[in-house]
Amino acid sequence: MSNSPEPIKKVDPVTVEILTGKLLATVDEMGIIMTKTSMSPIVYEVLDFACGICAPNGDLIAQSNGITLFTGTFSYQVRALAARYKDDMATGDIFVTNDPFAGGTHPNDVAIIRPIFFEEQLLAYAITVAHWLDIGGTVPGSLPVDATSLFQEGLRLPGIRIAREDKLNDDLVRLIEENVRMPELAMGDLRAQIATVRIAERNLRDATQKYGFETVSAAFSEINESSSQSSRRVIAELPDGVYEAQDTIDGDGVTDDPIPVCVRITIAGDHMTADFTGCSPTTAGPVNCTRGALESAVKTVFKALVDPSAPSNEGWFAPLDVIVPEGTVFSAAKPAPTGWYYEGSVHASELVWRALAPLKPEQFSAGSYTSLTVLYLTGKKENGDLFVHIEPQHGGWGATSDRDGANALIALTDGDTYNHSVELLEAKLPVLVRRYGFNIEGGVGAGRHRGGYGLIREYEMRTDEASFFCGISRNSTPPWGMEGGAVGSCNFVEVQTAADSTPSRVHHHPNWQLQEGDHVKVVTGGGGGWGASEDRSITDIQTDIADGFMTPEEAFETYGLSQTALKMGEE
Amino acid sequence: MVRLATDVGGTFTDLIAYDEETGKITFTKTLTTTDDQSTGVLNTISDACETSNLDLAAVDFFVHGGTTVINAITEWKGVKTALVTTRGFRDVLEIGRGNRPDLYNLKARTPPPYIPRRYRLEITERLDGQGNIVTPLVEAEVAEVADICRDAGIEAIAVVFLHSYIDDRHEVRCADLLRSLLPGVMVSTSSQISQQWREYERTSTAVLNAYVQPVIDRYFRNLESKLTEIGIDCPLYAMQSNGGVATFNDVRLQPLTLVESGPSGAIAGAVRIGQAIDAPDVLLLDVGGTTAKCSLIRNGRPQIVPEYKLEWSRFSPGYTVQVSVVDIVEIGAGGGSIASIDDAGHIHVGPDSAGSTPGPVCYGRGGTLPTVTDAKLVIGILDPENFANGQMVLDIASARTAFEPIALALKCSVEEAASAVIRIAEANMINALKLVTVQRGHDPRDLSLVVTGGAGPMLATKLGRELNVKSTVIPVYPGVFSAWGMLAALPRTDLRRTLFCEMDNEGLEKVRSEFQQLIAQAEQHFNVSEAAELHLHFSVEARYQGQEHSVSAAFQLNDTVASFLDTFHATHETAYTFQLPESPVEITNLHLQAEYKSDIIALSEIPKEKQSVIHSKKGVRDVFFGPDYGWVECPVYDRELLFSGCQLEGPLIIEEPTTTCLVLPGQVVEMTSTGLLVITELE
Repeated sequence: MSNSPEPIKKVDPVTVEILTGKLLATVDEMGIIMTKTSMSPIVYEVLDFACGICAPNGDLIAQSNGITLFTGTFSYQVRALAARYKDDMATGDIFVTNDPFAGGTHPNDVAIIRPIFFEEQLLAYAITVAHWLDIGGTVPGSLPVDATSLFQEGLRLPGIRIAREDKLNDDLVRLIEENVRMPELAMGDLRAQIATVRIAERNLRDATQKYGFETVSAAFSEINESSSQSSRRVIAELPDGVYEAQDTIDGDGVTDDPIPVCVRITIAGDHMTADFTGCSPTTAGPVNCTRGALESAVKTVFKALVDPSAPSNEGWFAPLDVIVPEGTVFSAAKPAPTGWYYEGSVHASELVWRALAPLKPEQFSAGSYTSLTVLYLTGKKENGDLFVHIEPQHGGWGATSDRDGANALIALTDGDTYNHSVELLEAKLPVLVRRYGFNIEGGVGAGRHRGGYGLIREYEMRTDEASFFCGISRNSTPPWGMEGGAVGSCNFVEVQTAADSTPSRVHHHPNWQLQEGDHVKVVTGGGGGWGASEDRSITDIQTDIADGFMTPEEAFETYGLSQTALKMGEE
Repeated sequence: MVRLATDVGGTFTDLIAYDEETGKITFTKTLTTTDDQSTGVLNTISDACETSNLDLAAVDFFVHGGTTVINAITEWKGVKTALVTTRGFRDVLEIGRGNRPDLYNLKARTPPPYIPRRYRLEITERLDGQGNIVTPLVEAEVAEVADICRDAGIEAIAVVFLHSYIDDRHEVRCADLLRSLLPGVMVSTSSQISQQWREYERTSTAVLNAYVQPVIDRYFRNLESKLTEIGIDCPLYAMQSNGGVATFNDVRLQPLTLVESGPSGAIAGAVRIGQAIDAPDVLLLDVGGTTAKCSLIRNGRPQIVPEYKLEWSRFSPGYTVQVSVVDIVEIGAGGGSIASIDDAGHIHVGPDSAGSTPGPVCYGRGGTLPTVTDAKLVIGILDPENFANGQMVLDIASARTAFEPIALALKCSVEEAASAVIRIAEANMINALKLVTVQRGHDPRDLSLVVTGGAGPMLATKLGRELNVKSTVIPVYPGVFSAWGMLAALPRTDLRRTLFCEMDNEGLEKVRSEFQQLIAQAEQHFNVSEAAELHLHFSVEARYQGQEHSVSAAFQLNDTVASFLDTFHATHETAYTFQLPESPVEITNLHLQAEYKSDIIALSEIPKEKQSVIHSKKGVRDVFFGPDYGWVECPVYDRELLFSGCQLEGPLIIEEPTTTCLVLPGQVVEMTSTGLLVITELE
């Protein structure tokens, strides 16, 4: 087959379909390798990683996502790298970047990028990003809740070559090992990530051997082009206009001051612009995000709008522009801290969600508990080893126009994220879980359809050598209701020590020293309701009472239904 | 004496009868009866008696497989069930793992629990992660729970307490109390069916088992009495999901072990085929109407996984249960898969399927959307006049018409459109086959690809070529292969136990002593006095400290720490491309596979004739080999007239009653002495 430069030919749809299948199978395979080999619970349980393939121009062609946070960060990172290294890349190179200011998110998210060549020509990039449990900095886990500078959040690897000819640079490896806690975990993840991008290289080369360089390259363009057309069709069907939403981020980790944010969405023909002008300036604390993470947050909801189930690629986002002035909470510049960026950027997603929901109510739900409600539990195991346990919690989602909200589901920023098995946890760590169940007492947003229930996870400590820190949003501004539905409930952590007679509630806390017998309760909120509460059916209310979600007295208070009315409804 | 297998599928109930003296095999197919599957089973038996003079008195082995259990669950046909669990944990069943695989769907939710919250009841008791009693069982509360169950008319109860995989005394005591308080209610403990950790998965297992147990119990009692009535008086077995069989009595208590009964029969059959062609490593592809399933057999053993995700999809977490199931990758590509063009002009095949009703367009039963089977008719692989033994005439004109929209969109001829559809279906299957081979570190060049199912052999040779396998094999009776495979399955039990410790000398001692207990359990299960009557296979699931997912590595009772670690490192490298010889290794689970040594189906020798192969030839047919080759005339052979050792070069077609096999140019097919078709590439 000739490799002479020709105008890009149009590939037949059958070959495009076959190559699309191969690309998706490849990113899936990358994901499997990543979960199975990683040493970090945050990778294998939380699935805080993603794998993808980008075209030589940086366009994302195929992506496997465990979570939504990496929707659209890859292109940014690949382009930043390609701009720096231009023609200085060769077969066998491996690059690493975790720079929030070059398309990344926070320093814990380490991306490994592999340029893939076929007969000396750059064919694609394989990329995988994974949350390393620790990347250095002031606290175990590298996410100080009250950080005021990025230098407290660990080592930055700003787009550097870590291997040539498949040989790791020992100097760099030593540098990393000496600057992170638990280097064996970091090296385990690095190894898993390298295995992951190599698999992609093998598969892509096999396909190119068979179909030829030009056909594969042309198929890349074709895949994006057709997604872009589908996406434009959906936007074109929406009424032109300007749609706005406002919200509040509840504190930045340093202070509890409310942080107002807003969006102005313009739909004109087959194009959509999301403009974040007017949002609060960059905060002192680490809930800021950079432009890359903001785009990712907007793309998450944009994808939910145009086609939630199709595989993601750059084409879907062709009709979307994101505008944000410099220096806002969503467009932080060096040296702002971004460690807890997802607690901020999720609000950008939700603003877009809230603004667009009235246009396509059948595709959206009311407000959810929003926050990943992450608690870091660190301390010493019985054998003296350090442990860092990161636990996101699941919570209540908003009601939809046709049914009650989902109970105990992971927040929008994550996705295929598992909760931690209590039995596994208790076998490994000096804790007892006293309760893991629905947060009935916190309640949900009432409505024709009510919100879903959040959770309560209650730990009893069995050691004096442990502490926790946490950063939890939606701690005072509850999840919104839709079409007259009531607001949901808020998230918090409650600590009951032996010394104090009453429990304390916190949402951002940099370091709480725990004693044996202390109870730490993570409480997640219930979702917002949909429709007026007086329209809720008696059957639904009776079911809730029978299932212990509310007492008859509460039913009376919330829905105005007396015992008699309930009884009559039964008949 | 006759061995009899019946396999209840979605559309057909298949029967295979094997005469142990003569080696003669007969088979029948009747329609599945959905309301009571045992009716269909009896129908197919009486059909076999009429058409093939099956002598029921001579039946000395009966095995039954099918979709009974999975249907009862997915159609919510179980009984009113309660869960009794540790205080503070009643919602575990409904929370599941809380994951949201349908990432961008803002209306996603976890599938509903099989027991509503009001019947999930809590009792004060607690063990810790080391098995110490933190809070003793409060027996007084059991009586209160019993009252609630009695008032609600509960028919089955699952008792699940935290950490019962270490010590189940609280579960056992609570269940005993409940049984005495609630006569007639089926009470079971989680440890009866799973001794593995992870509270949601074990709860889900115990609950689903309890939910269908009374129904399945009635089903098997009913089937047994009907079989006795018609004169079948022999041990009765059910095909389990682990590639082995178990007595009706055993599966009545653990119906969940039957969840993948049908596919597991095909895998047992593939193991047997592997033995016959002396190929320890076999890749099975079973292509049905709606899906294709693939599975790998290594060293003559099916790969068994400890977990099964019921109703799982890319968009739903489904329901996870802890039962030993053959490792199967299933994709939505079968004979009935529908080809379509989307708004963007892209062509797709599946996952929508025309199923058996209305079925492919060419069946003339009302189907209008083009399927893979229609494509095969259009390009000439299928004979319109001689489909399913001539029982059905296929409508080629309608099939061609159905492809016109695709041809129009692709700007090509109808046969080119049909061949494009087949290429896409093949590419989907190749991706799935690679998932179970290359992606798990197994080189297809070492494998024999066994292809079964009515729609399989037409695609087999192309897939074999693309995967670069050693050979492609079409076994005997490919259209009723699951039933055939059930006659190749041994009585089998899989015993698993969670053991969490480091792999050192102390750990090794624990492993050995736990395995001794499991061996005793297996001996008791099969009612044998010594282990020599059993095939035993030990494996240990282990991981590098810090990892979450374990790798299952083979274990020998005389292993030292060093020798086991060698096996483990190598297994890890095969699966995940690297090993960490310096890292400590921790054990998480033990697995004993025990099979009772007994006779299974033999492959009988077929005649070796001196006559010319010309007598096996039925005629010729034009087959379209894509735009580059166009229509090519292919000879058509009758499989039943081929003889041992005959070799033929493609292109050619081999027809048999349940399927058609296409051999490509550049390939050679050989009929083995036991009647298998083995296709290899010409040098």
